[in-house]
Amino acid sequence: MLEPVLQIKDVIFQNIEYPSFEIQKGNMVVFYGESGSGKSTLFKLLNATETVSAGEILYYGQPLEFQPTLELRKKILLVSQMVYLFGGSIADNFRIFYEYREEALPSLEKMRKYLSACCIDFPPDTSCVNLSGGERQRVFVAIGLSFLPDVLLLDEPTAALDEWTATCLIENVSKVCKEKGITLLVITHDLHTVEKFADVKIELQKARRS
Amino acid sequence: MQEVVELQIGQFALIYLLLLIVLFVMRKCRIHQTKLLFVASIRMTVQLVLAGLILTYIFEYPHPIFTVLYFVVMTGFAIHRVLSKNKGLNRRFQWAIACSLTVSGLFVLVFFIVVVVGESIFNPQYVIPIGGMIMGNAMTGMTLGIKTFQESFQGQRSKIEALLNFGVSPKKILLPHVNQSLETALLPTLNSMVGMGIVSLPGMMTGQILSGTLPMTSIFYQIAIMIAMCTVVCVSVFGALYFGYQSLYNEKNQILLFQKDQGLR
Repeated sequence: MLEPVLQIKDVIFQNIEYPSFEIQKGNMVVFYGESGSGKSTLFKLLNATETVSAGEILYYGQPLEFQPTLELRKKILLVSQMVYLFGGSIADNFRIFYEYREEALPSLEKMRKYLSACCIDFPPDTSCVNLSGGERQRVFVAIGLSFLPDVLLLDEPTAALDEWTATCLIENVSKVCKEKGITLLVITHDLHTVEKFADVKIELQKARRS
Repeated sequence: MQEVVELQIGQFALIYLLLLIVLFVMRKCRIHQTKLLFVASIRMTVQLVLAGLILTYIFEYPHPIFTVLYFVVMTGFAIHRVLSKNKGLNRRFQWAIACSLTVSGLFVLVFFIVVVVGESIFNPQYVIPIGGMIMGNAMTGMTLGIKTFQESFQGQRSKIEALLNFGVSPKKILLPHVNQSLETALLPTLNSMVGMGIVSLPGMMTGQILSGTLPMTSIFYQIAIMIAMCTVVCVSVFGALYFGYQSLYNEKNQILLFQKDQGLR
């Protein structure tokens, strides 16, 4: 059996205790559970913007803490629910995020492909100023997806979407991830829409340490 | 040149009558700051009279220790003002501000007095007024620069988080905020340089002309002090922000303010 991409072993962060589990390469894993169960925090721990208080997280068998964090975040990329887009057009946003990452900008054709995968059918020169909350969120996911990380973490990607668009987004993104061998981890409150595409579902509970 | 008219106490007190006009306008416009006007006038008077008495004593009995002490108190007060106007900074950032203000203020002051004027660095007649202007401007520039940095840092949290999550280094994310804050801190000084001599005759020059100094001499001093102020604001704010912003992230490239266990400190 292949080595898991991620192993979470006895992880504790402050007063949140996580169950131990493993994630296999190329799987789509859905995390759900009540508010305050530490779902978003788990994603921050996975891409090393927070550090575990106890226990360890292994990435291909290597503890996260011994890996160069910036490289790691490019491989385990988190698209948080706090959406940020710069002013200007969608294409400008691709350009700015790619400049920050010092990577070559994808062609307009590729941008269209990723936008379409996120159920955005506007041309890349559309201004971001007039986009709705849900559209902004999908553009943000499209930019994250376009970096083709090894593990893509989507925190509540369907929060501002109606059921049809949410289904379209998750179906398309999971399809692209399967094609590219990207392991996809999704946090959702909308399990009904997302679970049919998931390989694994993990429920997080408020397991507080006294 | 005429000698300056010595102000007698009775004559001098007449100037306070102008405050009655301010009071009248404030009442008419329902600006409820009469208490502040009163406190500010009293504080200014008491503080300046005290400074006058201390300066009279120091000029009569000049001793290096007095000059040094005066500079130390001035610098300490400037640091205290900047820190009290910018709460919520971590200890390292506070140290960066304190060291930067002290080192840059001292450097510009020594350069001005020893190299340009050619006087002793312990001469109170030069060190105290020039040091005061330098530290005062450094304090104002620093307060503005740090405040701008804090506001842009906190206001653009979602941008910073998004970039951090995408694997961009904190240095690359925060440096534009440093540059923008430095620019904001410098603008008032640069703008006042643009209008100088046309819009206003600055205070130092006015004072020198009133006391009988030749206009050209006082203009040279004014130009020198403006350049000194511009330099001290630039160097001190740059130093504080450059060394300070590095205290906002750790070796794991985590931004400390965003970490749940760090709070604002």
